[in-house]
Amino acid sequence: MILVRAPLRISFVGGGTDLPDFYNRYPGRVLSATINKYVYVVINESPLMDRLTAKYSKTESVSHPSYFEHPSIREALLYLGITRKGIEIGSFADLPSKTGLGSSSSFAVALLKGLHALLLKKMSAEEAARAACHLEIELLKEPIGKQDQYAAAYGGFNVFQFNTDATVAVSPVFLDYKKKSLLEEHLLLFFTGITRAASSILSEQRKKIDTHFETYKKMSDSVPDFEKLLLDGNVRDLGDMLHTGWLAKKSLSEGISNEVLDSLYTASRRGGAWGGKVLGAGGGGCLLVFAPPLCHREIRKNVNYVAERKELRGFREIPVQFVQAGSGVLLNNHQQVSSFLSHRTYGNIHQKIYQ
Amino acid sequence: METYIKKFISDVENTLQTLPIKEIARAINVIHATYERDGRIYIFGNGGSLALATHWVSDFNKTVFSHNLEKQTRRFQAIRLPSTEEELSAWANDVGYEMVFAGPLSNYIQENDCVIAISSSGNSTNIIQAVELAQKHNVAVIGLSGFDGGALNQLAEVKICVKTEKGRYSIVEGIHAMILHLITQYFQDYFDHATRSS
Repeated sequence: MILVRAPLRISFVGGGTDLPDFYNRYPGRVLSATINKYVYVVINESPLMDRLTAKYSKTESVSHPSYFEHPSIREALLYLGITRKGIEIGSFADLPSKTGLGSSSSFAVALLKGLHALLLKKMSAEEAARAACHLEIELLKEPIGKQDQYAAAYGGFNVFQFNTDATVAVSPVFLDYKKKSLLEEHLLLFFTGITRAASSILSEQRKKIDTHFETYKKMSDSVPDFEKLLLDGNVRDLGDMLHTGWLAKKSLSEGISNEVLDSLYTASRRGGAWGGKVLGAGGGGCLLVFAPPLCHREIRKNVNYVAERKELRGFREIPVQFVQAGSGVLLNNHQQVSSFLSHRTYGNIHQKIYQ
Repeated sequence: METYIKKFISDVENTLQTLPIKEIARAINVIHATYERDGRIYIFGNGGSLALATHWVSDFNKTVFSHNLEKQTRRFQAIRLPSTEEELSAWANDVGYEMVFAGPLSNYIQENDCVIAISSSGNSTNIIQAVELAQKHNVAVIGLSGFDGGALNQLAEVKICVKTEKGRYSIVEGIHAMILHLITQYFQDYFDHATRSS
């Protein structure tokens, strides 16, 4: 059995500049951090089974991976040429999908790390990030960018620069524990209860990149400034920058915000929040609020009131902490099992049993 | 005599000014990520560097949590390699001195671990063998080297080179000890802080 996990992420500034329509013309930049919420992928080989199975919110059992409905599982298996029967893939997560925390890319990273482990190969963070981008962008034709795959694979606070030659430069932001906990003390994260697929909003957003090119440029150029404020621990200005960034992001496409999200955001500002943003592509998912700790009670009261009025049944607060580790294989006894079974004597027995 | 002592101190001070701060920060991040994944930290070196490794392990595994030993049941798993003299002599005698670190490391190493390799010259064959083994497993290597860094500084993912003229072992080893203490101190402060705020 192989167990892999990959963290989810909060992206602070620069989201959208990781789309090729932008970074083909001007370097895109994103600053994000991974949090203590994970996606887990389990891969097991059960040779007596004559089907392949996938267990996620649904359970699928097929005779060939090309019949899987789950797009990333299907394409990853086909791409890696894993078609043998008896493969079981299960997925678990600390939070539901489509929350704007990059979970589909975290899943892609964990899945590919796990499948490579099944093939007795180890992947570096860079290899895992690239493979996940290839899977989601090239093979699945998702209209998404590359920031989430890199965030999940590398882990921690990073600035990702998306170069015009399609390479990605990863620079860690070296924050000590005091700065990290200062940030944690100022952050509030609310799941709105509204889930949405990033692809519909992003497809719309991509069509308008030309029109908003200067805004994107400003967003990309604001990343080094945000990084400096982080390193200085200047929470007040970070809050203001998040606010300005959110206003800019909202202007890029109509679907990014909506009446409910605007009401929640306004309610948090009324409670004393300096800034915040809707995480991910927008339209729903999670609302990040940045505010002095003394205002948190009032903000919670305000947003919960809006949530109740708008009948957001899934609305709740998610306590988060930042984590350093990127995607990792937590358990892998496949290697021992396969070398044990490939031993000459046991190999023969294995063949006899499983023929 | 005083001039001699002052000269030594000033050499140390000048060397301290050239330390790669970002690389030390990177080392702390690598160790933090290893802790989160429940991985192990293997540390080794020859001669005086082996003494540094042993000293660090005892500090790191216990002193980091000494203010809250009972609250922190999950602690660091730092291991000096080889962990016994018997293993060291067995590998040296039976296989060769170049395998005294890589041999025992191959018994333990898992993908979530990390390695701290200490070599003042950066060129000890047995150190390089172990570093190459770690890299085959995609395990991050923190290289503590001296002089011009040698092969270790080229290979390691985290390149902490204490730059001096060749042969200044006293300064290099002394500063290596300081960097290792800095890492211990950072995590001690971090866990004190985390325990206070929880």
